[in-house]
Amino acid sequence: MSDKITRRNFLKIAGAGAAISAVLTGCGPMSRYIVRRPYTEMPEYNQTGLNTYYASTCRECAAGCGIIVRTKEGRAITIEGNPQHPLNRGRLCARGITAQQGLYNPDRVFGPIFQARGDTSRQARTTWDEVIPVVSDALKSPASQIAFLLGTAPDHLFDLVAEWARSNGAPAPLRYSALASFEGRSTLQEAANRTFGKPALPFFDLANAEVVFSFGANFLETWLSPVSYSSAYGDMRQARPTRRGYLVAFEARQSLTAGNADEWIPIKPGSEGLVALALARLIAEARGDDVPAAARSIDPATVAETAGIEPAKLTELARLFAASEHSLAIPGGGAICQHEGLATAQAILQLNVQVNNLGVPGGVYLTNTEQPTTSLAEVYNLVQKMNNSQVKVLFIHSANPVFELPKVLGFEEALAKVPLVISFATFPDETAMLSDYVLPDHSPLESFGYQRMLAAADRPVYSSIQPVVAPLYDTRSTADVLLAAAAAAGSPLPYTDEVDFIQQMIVPLISAGGFYTAPEIQTFWSRWLQYGGWWVTEQGLDTDISAAPSRSAAFSGPIALEEDKQFHLVVFPTQLGDGAGANRPWLQEMPDPMTTLTWNTWVEINPETADRLGIHDDDVVRVTTPYGALEASVYRYPAIRPDTIAIPFGQGHTALGRWAEGRGANPAALLPAAVNESGDLAYNDVVASIALTGKRRPLARVESREGVYGEH
Amino acid sequence: MAAETKLFGKLKTSEQEHEDPKEQLMFDPRPREELNRMVMEMMTTTTRKFWLWAIGLGAGVVVLLFGAWGYMISTGMWVTGLRRPIYWGVFIVTFVFWIGISHAGTFVSAILRVFKSEFRRPFTRAAELMTTFGLAAGALYPLIHLGRVWVFYFMVPYPNARWLWPNFRSPLVWDLLAITTYLLSSTIYLYLPLVPDLAMARDRTTGIRHTAYKILALGWRGTEAEWFRLKKAIQIFAFAIIPVMFSVHTIVSWDFAVSQVAGWHSTIFGPYFIIGAILSGVSAVVTILYVLRSSLKHMDYFLRPEHFDALGKLILVFSMSWAYFFFNDYLLGWYGGEAAVRQILTVHATGPAAWVWYTMLICNIVIPWLTLWNRKIRRTPWLMFIITLLINVGMYMERYTIIPLTLGHQRTPFDWGVYTPQPIEISIVLGTFCLFTFLYLIMSRLIPLVPVWEVQEGQVAHSLRKVGKAEVPSVTELD
Amino acid sequence: MAEVSKGIAEKWGLVVDQDRCTGCNACVVACSMENNVPFTGEDNVAFGRGTYWIYNKRMWEGTYPEVAPAFQPVMCQQCGSAPCEPVCPTFAAVHSEEEQINLQIYNRCIGTRYCANNCPYHARQFNFEDPNIPEPMNSYLNPDVTVRRRGVMEKCTFCVQRIVAGRQTASAEDRPLRDGEVTPACVAACPSDALVFGDLSDPNSRVSQMAQNERQYKLMDELGTRPKVTYLKGGGRNGG
Repeated sequence: MSDKITRRNFLKIAGAGAAISAVLTGCGPMSRYIVRRPYTEMPEYNQTGLNTYYASTCRECAAGCGIIVRTKEGRAITIEGNPQHPLNRGRLCARGITAQQGLYNPDRVFGPIFQARGDTSRQARTTWDEVIPVVSDALKSPASQIAFLLGTAPDHLFDLVAEWARSNGAPAPLRYSALASFEGRSTLQEAANRTFGKPALPFFDLANAEVVFSFGANFLETWLSPVSYSSAYGDMRQARPTRRGYLVAFEARQSLTAGNADEWIPIKPGSEGLVALALARLIAEARGDDVPAAARSIDPATVAETAGIEPAKLTELARLFAASEHSLAIPGGGAICQHEGLATAQAILQLNVQVNNLGVPGGVYLTNTEQPTTSLAEVYNLVQKMNNSQVKVLFIHSANPVFELPKVLGFEEALAKVPLVISFATFPDETAMLSDYVLPDHSPLESFGYQRMLAAADRPVYSSIQPVVAPLYDTRSTADVLLAAAAAAGSPLPYTDEVDFIQQMIVPLISAGGFYTAPEIQTFWSRWLQYGGWWVTEQGLDTDISAAPSRSAAFSGPIALEEDKQFHLVVFPTQLGDGAGANRPWLQEMPDPMTTLTWNTWVEINPETADRLGIHDDDVVRVTTPYGALEASVYRYPAIRPDTIAIPFGQGHTALGRWAEGRGANPAALLPAAVNESGDLAYNDVVASIALTGKRRPLARVESREGVYGEH
Repeated sequence: MAAETKLFGKLKTSEQEHEDPKEQLMFDPRPREELNRMVMEMMTTTTRKFWLWAIGLGAGVVVLLFGAWGYMISTGMWVTGLRRPIYWGVFIVTFVFWIGISHAGTFVSAILRVFKSEFRRPFTRAAELMTTFGLAAGALYPLIHLGRVWVFYFMVPYPNARWLWPNFRSPLVWDLLAITTYLLSSTIYLYLPLVPDLAMARDRTTGIRHTAYKILALGWRGTEAEWFRLKKAIQIFAFAIIPVMFSVHTIVSWDFAVSQVAGWHSTIFGPYFIIGAILSGVSAVVTILYVLRSSLKHMDYFLRPEHFDALGKLILVFSMSWAYFFFNDYLLGWYGGEAAVRQILTVHATGPAAWVWYTMLICNIVIPWLTLWNRKIRRTPWLMFIITLLINVGMYMERYTIIPLTLGHQRTPFDWGVYTPQPIEISIVLGTFCLFTFLYLIMSRLIPLVPVWEVQEGQVAHSLRKVGKAEVPSVTELD
Repeated sequence: MAEVSKGIAEKWGLVVDQDRCTGCNACVVACSMENNVPFTGEDNVAFGRGTYWIYNKRMWEGTYPEVAPAFQPVMCQQCGSAPCEPVCPTFAAVHSEEEQINLQIYNRCIGTRYCANNCPYHARQFNFEDPNIPEPMNSYLNPDVTVRRRGVMEKCTFCVQRIVAGRQTASAEDRPLRDGEVTPACVAACPSDALVFGDLSDPNSRVSQMAQNERQYKLMDELGTRPKVTYLKGGGRNGG
């Protein structure tokens, strides 16, 4: 392999044991063509007592942060951000940091299994030689009856499968992640399309903004690219000597982002669009501009009342927004995941247009991401096809639809109607348990790949994924399995294996003007692995953005509730992401930032409401929506509207290993099947009722209840 | 009991303290041989009840103390109720409690001996024994509470190849040194006056006991020179052990006072702890005397209402002193105005565990102040038993307030915590109570619990002399 | 190596910019993964025994609707005059001469827990039980850091293993340590750059400069512990 060229040089530096940035190796366990030997014959890239660092990409969510994994004697020890990566610049969030707990998790799938849909009498370990023909036969099914359901990461597998599907006439692979669903990615992209005429995720230049209005976008915790946005947030606050950015958050339940905001405006769920229009009117008035057509019929005072806030506050905020140099309005999360979500997202994006904050520092740009989204509507179509027995084979990779999708959608029942379900899960998750075969992929730290759809990248970036340790178990790369099976099925792709595929995919990058180049692919490949990807040095987003005039929209406003009987329900993702983080003990043990709770599911309720209803901390309540019910303990949360309750997403697993199973409740049971115009789950419209069960189950909190809340 | 009823009858007729001098042990002399016989009988009588108690308590020691402790060692400290930020719980509470108890033995014996209080004579031994066994029980706790007890010797200054010494700046090392010093000196102090009595026992036993006493009596013959030297030694020890006693409990208080912990960092803790210790210790002496009096043969001859009366007065005085120091501690904390200290004082009185604080005040102040004024109550042993037991409950609560309740409410409210003792901890605490009682019980049959030579000496020195028509009690200065 | 470091009095310090800190707790996890801090499970956390070398003390300010969390990540403050040191009977809590920080020698610790009582920041954690990390998860344990058994105290060390490694690298290359070359795990992870680490003895280091900020304060300065961690006030309109 090409690494021969650079190996010596890098080994010299590695031998010095210098700081992280200096010793990224371009070779190592990735050298898949090297025969593996027992560790008594130590490979030369590993020296006892010395660290070896590998650059890769975090696959714990779709953001695609660059990571540097420190390995020692062939074990992944610590993971840190890649300081040169343009997305996260050396920073990393809790999910990325705990990725080794996925790699070394004792509950992984150790090898290919004939799972028999959970029928233990027929379950058996099998071998790759036996299962490749199974996959190959499956690929021989009529192309229209083959379905792929992939996760938001990794992108290279999506590209590979998409290419196969294209060349064989099969439906394009679907991508789904509950996290993306909660973020409202499709809506954001569609809103950008309608507003700016390009279907791409917008990039908000938070670092240079002066006033930021966030509508439901919890960008400090989970939204799109939390590390990148957190970094920008820090700069927005303190990087400029003269100006401290001002953040205002509009949402019913105070998320971490709203908690860090200078002002948290607890508007009713469903009133975001109206508030955006009212702000549009007030901003136009404050700036002396023409009031946009869509906002002309809006009376801010009425809107304020509808949203449950002071009219004066709205005026004050509009003046602030209008008067500042770089005012940014960010739509996201629950605000755009409702039946009028798309219009809401557009109305919010229009605020940026109004203050001419497009394509300038501190403003809105459009990223180069295409098809980054996971439209739930398409998943619905799939479920429908499955129910109609139009799907013969379902391949599932990096997604756990049985857990993540709203229960009312009936994915589990539909799955039973698919004759052959093949899961490539690394963990025995809920979906894998119901599959015919589990053909485990390598864990992300043992895999090759790349991420190219980085939601918060301010320039063209391809982020590379490489193995940092030799695979621990009898797992096999899904790309390799598919390539081998496709070849056997007579529908081969022109790639010998996964690495070959990736190399061919990145050939165009050699001459694309990145920060390095190489005469030929092998050298390029070596650097690609060494640097953790490819990108350009300068910020490279389109500065020429034009906006279509605002569409007139009529918002129906928030749903009327019966006081103390009905509540708006907010379901929010946490550090557990789409639920796949639940088997990482340190993610479980990490206190939730706002509540300091760990290891369980809770129901947040305003203490005043709780007092009226006679609900105490740790009381188990039953939360019921028209779609289902769950039971969980109460956390009296002071930062939530009195007419709203909130439940974190990610717990309530029935599979996924010892740390995840039988813990908490899965709010997917409460969610509707309804989607908004752009195909995102309309989870913000749900009305729930709660009832005491008479049980009590103390939550594991790090804070002192007595000290913080004065309760004994 | 007869003496008691007579006494009550007498009190009913006369409000004055004109008691018959014959009621006092010193003026109710019996022949020397008679006294010796009584003490020997006291020592050798073992009833069925005695054996039941001995076996029960022995089993308690094995199961409750060593069983639970062994379990804790083998599985870890998670069996306790300790948690952030409360890293000391009932182990340290009980430690301070036992050290406090052990105080009064020396106090009663040494101080009263130094001041030549004659009423001390029959019970100095019982009190000294309490000191030794209280210390024995208490000294276990610094070991029990260790996370890694198997390396406890890291605390001991022993020569080693790496020249590692314990940290002499640490109050825990002071503790270790003080307690071992106190244990050693109080054992010697117990032993010295015991020698003539052991010789007496030697002369009246046969077999193994005889051999044992013979060794322990160190060849005591009762010569003039021996008596002279013994008394000199006792005298020196009685003086010397008093500063040791004060230092020990002061040092225990320094465990808390030298720290940074709000509510512990108080300069008054030294005397406050000493007064508390004496209050709890003297109360414990009364408790034990009552038990001895009601369970040992002939003890009601030696221990009389006059002794309860005198000790009751002492308790009242110490209860008042304790209240003064308590008030002082609070007042200064309050005036100091440090937010954390004021918060702690408020939480003590109003928090979830306020009952502990109120129990302490009721038992340590209200009960003694209401009852101990009354001579009749003071002279009623069973009432004194209950009162002194309650005072010790109160003193336990005092330490509980000072340790876990204070630790649980430090400067950052985010880290406040509530401590609940867990079964293993309670078991170990009960186990040391069993240990103490068991040792005492066994010892009551092995050594004369009444320093019989001291009683005889006193009885010889006391006499009733006729002055005119009245009989006046008189004491001859012996030394 | 000795020649390079001789005469250089290091004084490592940390600055926590609370205006940048979002309270995301990435530092908590980064620290735990770097320093082999064991996860303890739901029951232990509920009992108050969750082991965190750094954790966010989240208090609430104001009442609804003007309520906001006040995040304060607190780790060992590496006091210049540390309350934990003198009370340890076995010198398990010691001050390091070279780094001028406060270290815990697990082998010497006998578990009196006195240091933990005496730490006003509650930065010290006790191992109530042996770490329960099933195979093969123990593979990721950092070989540079001892895995503590039950019965000993542990706490933040400013990632002293990284300081030492950085110093060794610098001396191997015969140069002084560069500012920012050594970063503890929490600092390296912090997504919003709220934590800054460096040598306070160098007046030009970033951390020294930041520690001069007018927003600076020390935790419980009145106790005279001389902490090496400086906090910069944040939140509200205190920032600019």
